[in-house]
Amino acid sequence: MSVLSKLIKNNRICIAVAVSIAILANLSQMIYMVYVGELVNRIESREQITIKLVIILVCFLISNVITVYLKHYFGKYAAEKMAHTLRMGYIGSLLKYKKNTDTGAVMSQVQNELSHADEYLSNIFFDITDLLLTGVLVFFFLMFQNVVLTLVIFIPTILILIYVKWSSRRLSGIVLKALDAKEKMNRVSYSLVHAFPAVKVYNGDEMCIGTYEKSLNSWGEQETDMERLNAVYNSLSGVLSRVPLLLLLTVGGYMVLKENIMLGTLIVFLNMQNTLKQTIMNLPSWISGFKVFITNLDKIHNLEV
Amino acid sequence: MIELNDVSFSYDNKMIISNLTLSIKKGEKIGIMGESGCGKSTLLKLMAGLYRADCGTVMVDGESEPEKISRKVSVVMQSPMLLPLSIYDNITMGHKYNPKQVEKVVKMARLSSWVDTLPDRIQTYIGDRADELSGGQAQRIAIARAMYKDSEVLLLDEPASALDSENSKSVLDAIMEYAIDKTVVHVTHQSKHLDGYDRIYVLKDGVLK
Repeated sequence: MSVLSKLIKNNRICIAVAVSIAILANLSQMIYMVYVGELVNRIESREQITIKLVIILVCFLISNVITVYLKHYFGKYAAEKMAHTLRMGYIGSLLKYKKNTDTGAVMSQVQNELSHADEYLSNIFFDITDLLLTGVLVFFFLMFQNVVLTLVIFIPTILILIYVKWSSRRLSGIVLKALDAKEKMNRVSYSLVHAFPAVKVYNGDEMCIGTYEKSLNSWGEQETDMERLNAVYNSLSGVLSRVPLLLLLTVGGYMVLKENIMLGTLIVFLNMQNTLKQTIMNLPSWISGFKVFITNLDKIHNLEV
Repeated sequence: MIELNDVSFSYDNKMIISNLTLSIKKGEKIGIMGESGCGKSTLLKLMAGLYRADCGTVMVDGESEPEKISRKVSVVMQSPMLLPLSIYDNITMGHKYNPKQVEKVVKMARLSSWVDTLPDRIQTYIGDRADELSGGQAQRIAIARAMYKDSEVLLLDEPASALDSENSKSVLDAIMEYAIDKTVVHVTHQSKHLDGYDRIYVLKDGVLK
């Protein structure tokens, strides 16, 4: 973590600007959605749509476009500055390195880590930070709009996430088994070709055909199991991923009919639910990616000590 | 026992063996030397029925068809050519199980002390551990396989070339102990491996000298 802290500290102004603009872009998007909701409410209650409302909507739409552009620009700039600092820090530490004179060996030790960390900083780090920030802001924004509808999206999404984690763990187990069986089958076929003279001289054809058939069958069985589980889990997760939207439509529609909320509020939820769902669903992969990034930074850091 | 009469063999339009004639009697030990790439292994493979001669005849123990010749000989190659199976399967090659014979060849090939330390002894699967075996252990399994077949003719293609001197001596001693009354043809580029052989030839330009 100390390398990341150093990177953030050395580029704090850039990062602060990038994060502020990201927050601004999200706020602009949310306020725009509030006014869209307001517009729908006025249409529903047959109230007059004022010029002022239209101007506000257009202004927020334009500000949304500008802030999103600035967000990407400053986000990438900050990420690139951090990557630059990392590369310079690495080269600096190499030049100071006195314990081991074999610089080539020292460099090759962390070459992969450095390129992964650099790639992560340049291309992924700020996008993830932005999406995480958006997810958190959208969650509080929706909570502020309506707690029940927010939980209607949030709780099933968490349950789907748990299911996806569980099914992917089971799938990765069977994928490993299938890969193992395939590797074994390849090894058997390679060995049979390689040991052909021995097979011929020692009349081992029957045993070899039997061995190959056994390994081929084993691979076939594992592949069938994998495809079957894949089909079951993926089709189920495809159906489940629509549950939050379905619940939102059902509960939200019911609330609109009962006049607990306005139609505009439901429209806001329908527009924002996907952002929240995406944030929650991608959280585990972001966390694991971030852990790898931190581990890589630690390895680079340990080299300079 | 082995008769090669005016045998020629070429590969990729290159003459490897040229009008070679050789007669080996039962129980004789013949050494064939030569530089790398001179055709020693090809000659051995012709004797083993693994190749068919372009012209001339190869006869081993009364058989001249390569398929039938293969059934009459045992071969130990430079590479042990192990299969991803158990030690037992690599020795018997799927043939009828004779526990006493397996035990005997394991002992003769000097594998016993190592096999006894393995978790499943003779049934230990070496498929995933073939790379973990030492050259000596792998070659001894190949020798035990040749012993288990117990052919009258034993063909050796540099069985000790990849081994260190200690292992090399141990492997060759094990072979000679077993093959005392067998017909042996041993191709090698090391003359020290042919001590006590009845005849030693040098293969050069496809011709035995």
